This record gives sequence, C-alpha cells and structure tokens, in this order.
Amino acid sequence: MSEYCLGDYDVVVIGAGHAGCEAALAAARMGKKTAAFVINLDTLANMPCNPSIGGTSKGHLVREIDALGGEMGKNADKTFIQSKMLNTSKGPAVHSLRVQSDRRMYHIEMKKTMEEQENLDVYQAEIVKILVENNKVVGVKTKIGATFNTKAVIVATGTYLKGKVIIGEVSYESGPDGVFPANDLSQSLLDLGIELRRFKTGTPARINAKTIDFSKMEEQFGDKEIVPFSFENEGKEEIVHKNQVSCYLTYTTEETHKIIRANLDRSPIYTDNKDMKLKSTGPRYCPSIEDKVVRFADKKRHQLFIEPLGEKTSEMYIQGMSSSLPEEVQIQMYRSVPGLENAKMMRPAYAIEYDCIDSTNLKLSLEYKGIDGLFFAGQVNGSSGYEEAAAQGIIAGINAVLKIDNKEPLILDRSEAYIGVLIDDLVTKGTNEPYRMMTSRAEYRLALRQDNADLRLTEKGYKVGLVSEEKYKKFVHKKDLIRMEIERIKATPIRPSTQVNELLESLGSSPLSTGCKLSDLLKRSELSYKSLAPIDKKRKDLPRSVAEEAEIQIKYEGYIKLQQEQIDEFKQLESKKLSPNIDYNEIKGLCLEARQKLNKQKPLSVGQASRISGVSPADISVLLIYLSQHNINK
Amino acid sequence: MSTTIAAIGTALSNSGISIIRISGKDSLNIINKIFKSNSKLEPNHIIYGKIIDKGEIIDNVLVSYFKAPHSYTGEDVCEINCHGGTQITKDILEIVLENGASIAEPGEFSKRAFLNGKMDLSQAEAVINLINAKTRTESRIAAKNMEGDLSKKIKALREELVELMAHIEVSVDYPEYDYDEVEPTSIISLLDRKISEIQHILDTYDHGKYIKNGVNVAILGKPNVGKSSLLNNLANYEKAIVTDIPGTTRDIVEETINLGNIVLNISDTAGIRDTDDIIEKIGVEKSLKILDEVDLVLYLINGEEGISKEDFEILSKIENKGIKYIPVINKMDLTKKTILSTILKELEQNGIKKPVCISAQENDGIDNLKNEITKLFNVSDLDYSHELIITNERHKDLLKKSIEYLIDAKNEINLGQPIDIVSIYVKKCTKTLGEIIGADVTQDIISKIFEKFCLGK
Repeated sequence: MSEYCLGDYDVVVIGAGHAGCEAALAAARMGKKTAAFVINLDTLANMPCNPSIGGTSKGHLVREIDALGGEMGKNADKTFIQSKMLNTSKGPAVHSLRVQSDRRMYHIEMKKTMEEQENLDVYQAEIVKILVENNKVVGVKTKIGATFNTKAVIVATGTYLKGKVIIGEVSYESGPDGVFPANDLSQSLLDLGIELRRFKTGTPARINAKTIDFSKMEEQFGDKEIVPFSFENEGKEEIVHKNQVSCYLTYTTEETHKIIRANLDRSPIYTDNKDMKLKSTGPRYCPSIEDKVVRFADKKRHQLFIEPLGEKTSEMYIQGMSSSLPEEVQIQMYRSVPGLENAKMMRPAYAIEYDCIDSTNLKLSLEYKGIDGLFFAGQVNGSSGYEEAAAQGIIAGINAVLKIDNKEPLILDRSEAYIGVLIDDLVTKGTNEPYRMMTSRAEYRLALRQDNADLRLTEKGYKVGLVSEEKYKKFVHKKDLIRMEIERIKATPIRPSTQVNELLESLGSSPLSTGCKLSDLLKRSELSYKSLAPIDKKRKDLPRSVAEEAEIQIKYEGYIKLQQEQIDEFKQLESKKLSPNIDYNEIKGLCLEARQKLNKQKPLSVGQASRISGVSPADISVLLIYLSQHNINK
Repeated sequence: MSTTIAAIGTALSNSGISIIRISGKDSLNIINKIFKSNSKLEPNHIIYGKIIDKGEIIDNVLVSYFKAPHSYTGEDVCEINCHGGTQITKDILEIVLENGASIAEPGEFSKRAFLNGKMDLSQAEAVINLINAKTRTESRIAAKNMEGDLSKKIKALREELVELMAHIEVSVDYPEYDYDEVEPTSIISLLDRKISEIQHILDTYDHGKYIKNGVNVAILGKPNVGKSSLLNNLANYEKAIVTDIPGTTRDIVEETINLGNIVLNISDTAGIRDTDDIIEKIGVEKSLKILDEVDLVLYLINGEEGISKEDFEILSKIENKGIKYIPVINKMDLTKKTILSTILKELEQNGIKKPVCISAQENDGIDNLKNEITKLFNVSDLDYSHELIITNERHKDLLKKSIEYLIDAKNEINLGQPIDIVSIYVKKCTKTLGEIIGADVTQDIISKIFEKFCLGK
C-alpha cells in the first residue's frame, strides 16, 4: 500500500463526536489549521443514546463550555424540542437545564458550523495510526494510506475503538448506531506504550410512536418560559417562547420483571456461560434494566421516560430500559409496559464494549504523559455522556493550541468549574467505570452554579482567544449591571409602612417594626426579588439573568462566603507547585504506596497530590517539607 | 489558614516542664482570656503569670509571644510553659481548646510554617524525622482505634448521616426519579437523634473527666435559703474530707466532698462562703455566668416562703442551658403542706424537673439528694474504654464540631432553606466524623447513592 502525504495541519482531531467537534472548533477558532477526521460524516455530533443535552451537573458543563466559547450550548439552543429547568424547588446551585434535542437537526447544525468554520477541514476517514517521532506527535495515517503532518493530535474516539455490540448471545464488531468501528487505532496506541482498558455502556430500544398508546402514560411538558443554554441567547424571544413537544412517563410491571428474570441466563452480564459473559466494566449510574431488576429486587416498578428523537421522526427513546438481552426477549419485555403493548421496535437495545485509556496517564491539560502533543478527550478517557465529552474536548482543543504556541495550559481547578472537577477526578483519582458528572462530586457546588458560569469562565475564554471581543464587551456590561444592582439593593432602605407590612404578611413573612435594607428582606427564604417588586420603587427594568444573579448573590451571600473560605484554604495547597521532575523515591519519609503513585502520576501541585488515593496527610506534610528543603517553590 | 491551632509541643510525660503551642490569629486573644499576669505580654518576651480557668488557678506558667511573621509558623504564636505532668498539661490544652483553638493535626505547625515561607533548611531536616515518627505512631493508634468501640460507634453514627446525604444528593442529581422524597420533619428527627447520640459519646468524655477531676458544683438560691447549711451538711454528713487548700498554686478555697465514687468540687467562686446572698450580690445575670463553668447546680428553694419569680427565671435558664441540675426545697421542717403543694405544682407547670425535699437544719432528706446526685453522674454505665475517649482531645473537638454542624443544619431547615443548602452542613458533619475514622465523604455518598437507589437510563 502506498503512502502519500495529503496535507499539513497544526491540530488533527480523531473523531467528530461531542468531544471531537468542540476540540476541532476551539483549535480552529484559536487560529490553528485544524482537521477533524470522522469514520462517517453522517455521524458527526451524533447522539447514539438519549436525545437530550444537559440535566443535573451536565447542564452546568454545557453552560461552562458556552462561557469558554464552545459550541454545544448554541447548537442545543438551535435544535431543542423541549426545555426544562430541573431542581427549581431546590437551591440555585443545583438548578440544572436540560433539553430534548432533535437528534438529526443537532447533527445537521453542528456539521454546518464545522463546515463553515474558517481554518477547519472536516474529512471522512478512519485514522489507523498516530505517527510519533522522538516522543513527539508528527502526523496521522488513514486506512487508505494518506498521511497528514501535524503538531498535535487529539484522540476523541468515543466508543469506536474496537467497538463491539452485544445483543443477547449475539455480538459483532461495530461502532454505535450501526457505524463501522475503529479496529486498527487501538494497536497504534498500544505500540506507543499506551495502556488500554475495556469499558461498556448500553442503550435502550427505539420504538415507533404510532405503535405507542400515549393515553396510558403521563404527559410531561417543557417549561413555559425557557432559559437558553447559551449566554449569547439570553432573552431571545424565539427561544424563550418556542413551541415544544412532550415526553411521556410510564412504568415497568411485575410482568416485565418476570420476563427479565426468566431470561437472565441469556444476558451477557448475568449468564454463567463463560464464552458469552462480558468482562468489561459498565457504569453503576446507568444500569441496564436487568441490573435494576436484579439489584433492586423488591422494587415493584421502574420509571420509564419516553422521549422523541426529533420532530420529523417517529422514533421514540425508552429511557430507563437499556438492555443487552436477546432481541426476542426485548420485544416481550417492552410490550409488558403500559402503553407499549403493541410496540414495534425500530432499533433494538444493545450494549457496546470499547477500548479506552487509563485517564491517570494524562496530565491535567489532557495531554498524554510522555508523548508531546498527544491529547485525549471524551469517552476514550473513561467518561460517559455527551456533555462530559464536549467539556474535555474544548479543553483539549485549547491546550493543544497553547502547547503549539509554547504557552501554559488552561487548567480549571475544582473551585472554578465542573469541568475542573471532571478532569481532576479523571486524571487525579482515575475511574473504574464510565464516569458521569454529578453535582455531588463538586465540593464547592454553591460557587459553581449554572447561572454564574459566564462570570466564572468568560474571562478565561477571552484570554485564550475563544471568546470574541464583542461577546466579551457584552459580558463586561452584564457584570457591571449585576454589581450595580447588588449595590442598589443593599443601599435601598425599607421603612415599616402599612404597604410594606401588608405585602410582607400576604407573602407569609413577618412584618417590620423598624426600617431595614431591601437586601435584608431579600435574604428571607419566603421572599424573592420578584415578590418584592411592589415595594421596590426604584427598580429598573433589567435583563432576567442580571436580576437573577443579583438575587442569588444577595440571598445566598452567607453560604457563598462560607464556601469561599473553604475555597481559599483549598487554593493554598493548589498553589504549591510540584515539578514533574521530582523523583519521589528519593524522598525519605514518604510511604511506599505514595512514592509509587506519585511517581506514576506526577501531580502538578501538593493539592493535586493530596487527592491521589494512597497518599495520606502524613505524606503531604513530608512533601511540603521536602519542597521547602529544595526551594522548588521559590 | 483561618483557624487557630494548639497542641502539646513536648512529649507527654511527667517531666519538669511542658510546652503548649498555639498558632493562628486568635493566639493572643486566647491567651488573654486564660492567662493573668502583672506584666504586659510583648512580642518576643516571656512573662510569668497564672492560667486561670473558671476562676480557678490551674498552674503558674511562663508565656511567650511571637508576633507574625516573626515566629516558627509565621503566624501569631503563643507558648505556655507549664509545670510538667500529663494531667496538668492536658488540662491546660483543654482550656486553650475551649477558648477557641482547634487541636493541631500531626505536622500542622510545620505545614503552616512551610505555607508561610518560614521553614529553613536545618529546621526542615529536623522536623521531617519528627513528623515521620509521630505520624507512624498516629497511624498505629488510628489502626487500633479502628478496631475499637469508638470507631464502631462513629461508623454507625455516620452511616445514617451518609445515607441521609445520599438521599438528599439523589434528589438533587436525579430530580425526576421516584424515590421517596426526604421530608424536612424526618430530617429534623434524624438530626435530633444524631445530636443526642454524639452528645452521649461526648458525655462519656465528661464522665471520664468527672472521675479524674471531680464534678464542679454550684449551690445557688436566694438569700437565707440555706446554702451554707447545705454545704456544711453535705460535707459533715459523709464525714468526708473538707479541705481548705490555700496552696501556692491554688488561691481559691475549694471544698472537696467524696460522694461514693464521685468527688464534688464545690468551689468558692459562687461566694457561698463569704456571703449568703450571691444573687443579690452579683445579680441574676452574673450568677448565670457561673453556669458556664459548672457541671451541676443545686438550686435551693425556700420551702417556708414559697417559690419566687426570680427562682423560676434562673431555673428555666438552667433548664434551657442543658446543665445538670437538681431543684432542692429546703426548710421542709418549716414548710406548710399547702405551700409545698403549690411549689410542686408550679415547678411542674414550668417544666422544671422534680425537686428533692430536704431540711438542711434537721439533716433530713440529704440521703435522697445524695442519691439524686449519684444517679446524675452514674459513671458505672460507661460502655467505652476510657483510654479511647477521655484522653483524646482531637476526637472530642471533632465530635463537638459535628454537633454544631447538625444544629446548623436544623436551623437551615427551620429557616425554610432548600435541601441542598441543608446538605452543606450535614456534609460538613459527615466529613468531620469521617476525620475521626479517616473516611472520604464524597466517595461514600456516591457509593451509597448507587447502592440504595435505582437510577439510570
């Protein structure tokens, strides 16, 4: 087979799923000549699982990607068919946006954006080899023999690496949604000394809407007033009041569970048949229906959400019922659910196994330790979920460019962003199962709200060159408005007049006997910015997001301050840098396990070291003293 | 570094001198609260004075003060050089902790020294070995405790809180799933239960203290109610040791009365000896301050005259403070039946516990009173090994903090704050308890979520 060079790039992205698209767009937008390779262009930004973007903590990630100058939020805003803010009965830190997307439209819009992007070439080809010289990436090679020279490669192969689909006793090589898998690249990675592991995930069946009796299900509507994902779309009428489609709620039955139990030996997870049994690790948070029935045997029924795949298709996604049981068992199983008695499957449920890397072999910049210019992002790092992938994608894209430009990488820490928590968890702690973001993973949840993602990250996106001058100016203006509104509320006196006390009593709040500031009232949990409007005469008409931000910052001031103190303590250890050249074997006093782990991971700071499992507080004290001895920090 | 830390800086032994080191911005404040001297404490000076706690002189000491950044840690540092001996050193550390310091983690002074850029080469060399030795011992002790009763108790305690957290977190991370929502009322009752369980463990610390140091008792009551008589009576009745110790280190006269296996310390801080009308002399407010410093209040009510408004005021404050107390109706020999029944009725209506009736003059009912006291401080129901609990200030400190967080959590619920705000405090408590047994709270919660709840696509 002849080899021929087809071009020179700064950055090559392997894969164009949610991680690959963000990575490629970021690199191109930062001015680098970029190519994104995808096995099949029609699967660019595909959603092979649920047709939905966002949700708890994932919605936070999308807002953060948007604040940094990424595309996911904007693309979701263009293509959603239902939108909902979750957790509104809880505190502002956990409000989370989730949309149902039109799956095809999402792909089409993202593909269009990629195609039109300056500096970016999108190309259908399977990359089979990463070319490395002197531990430095120099190019990639396609299956048909073309090579491309490049300074950096971002591997964003999702679940394609040696992908294997499993349905009952049947299994075959395949990527998701019936696309070809990437069978050769794994060997290239192994040849580079990169350790591979095998993870597994699954998806439920798609069922034709005309065979579903929705009258037996509970209809679920979107929000009346929609909050867009992208900060750029705030207040846009066509989004705020867009027409939406419904989802539906139904439940499994005892009959469903009976069918599953009777066929457990035909499940590749529960079978005793050694040849058939899967050895890969699946996610705990995303169990198949057979998992649920086995592990929660006394639960009488499980919830199922029926979600449309788009406006121009009848395919419906059966959330809650992913499975790897044989096809004919699946049919029985789905038909035992109220409303699905006559259901016809259009695509069966399946499990998919794939190669991924051990994410602790990465730096926090997502660059592979030991090979210059080789970055990894998305599911190949052991994460799961579109949003988690996109978040890593944009960071890998940014850092590939910064690397080429010999600049410090962009690393968000745990107190700055969910993205920081995600990447630190993957790189520092590692994961033994596909990793899903959750708000409970964030220590500083109150600071990492979805409403303030722009306040946290726009500045950083602007500095690296991903946020345009125009968008940045708009952001600075918004920040000023928020500051002024907070100052105004704190300075506005409220006297105990009849009008004031009547309003307070009508809102179930105790009346005033002496004067106070408007901010004091706003802090009461039963009062809100909106409900105080009648006694706030000088209030200006402000954008919803500005008013909301001012309200949250005043209302939760005490808690936010408390959290800030914790963050300050956290930052102290984070700021103690550790050189990657330290040989931990030479530090007397470290216990053996700590030496090994530290040598393997080479943490960048004492703070990061403290989160590595097996490194004790005593080891950290030893490290601190070692540092002072060697004046590394000075 | 927002907290001020303290620890014993010398090996705990019966050597001549021990040093307690305090570092952090509150160091000087704490010293000013507990240390009295005729000289003024200036930076880089060492002065002579007394450590005073609850009006009692604990020890004659030398205190030095190093002002930030010119100290070992780079923070304000005070060092107390006290007389050696395990108990006295621990007592002083305890006093320092009670006045606002937290117990230092192993190596924490050095860590701060480093963080503040204070560590030089030779110091670092020396300290690294020390820490090593220290932490290895610590981990051995920790390993031993892991097997112990305390650890088991803490684990059980924590388990339910971790479950609660998982419940809260699952409702946050999976808002649309049909698990049972946690009701605020059920959270409150769980928190109340945990508070009392932790308090119970803390109490055993106090029990231990009572055995070692005795129970500090105040006899309160209106003028002429018979406080002195009761004191003399208690003392004479047992023909126990009544000592006046106008010693070199202790200027305060203290009555020590043996009551079975409990020692009562009736100190003269309440002024029982000098004057019989303490409440009039120092006022209700001040006499209530005494309450902060005692383990038991014997509150005398004049049976002859009946109960007054003032009596109620003080009694209910005692009740609210949660201090152990016994209402005592004195002068039973002169009390009319009608008055007695009125007193009893009024006490009951005001939620005050059942009184003991005595006549100090006639030496009547003292047995009952003695029994009541013994019952209150029943040390025989201790079900923990002493070593584990009563000697570990760090554990006590952490347990105390845990209770504070749970109370905070309750307050947030009562303020109507959303559940994820409440969870901040529950999480802090779980984390604090976890520090005792060395567990990672986030991992625990996430594991619990998946173990308990059926979620996913």
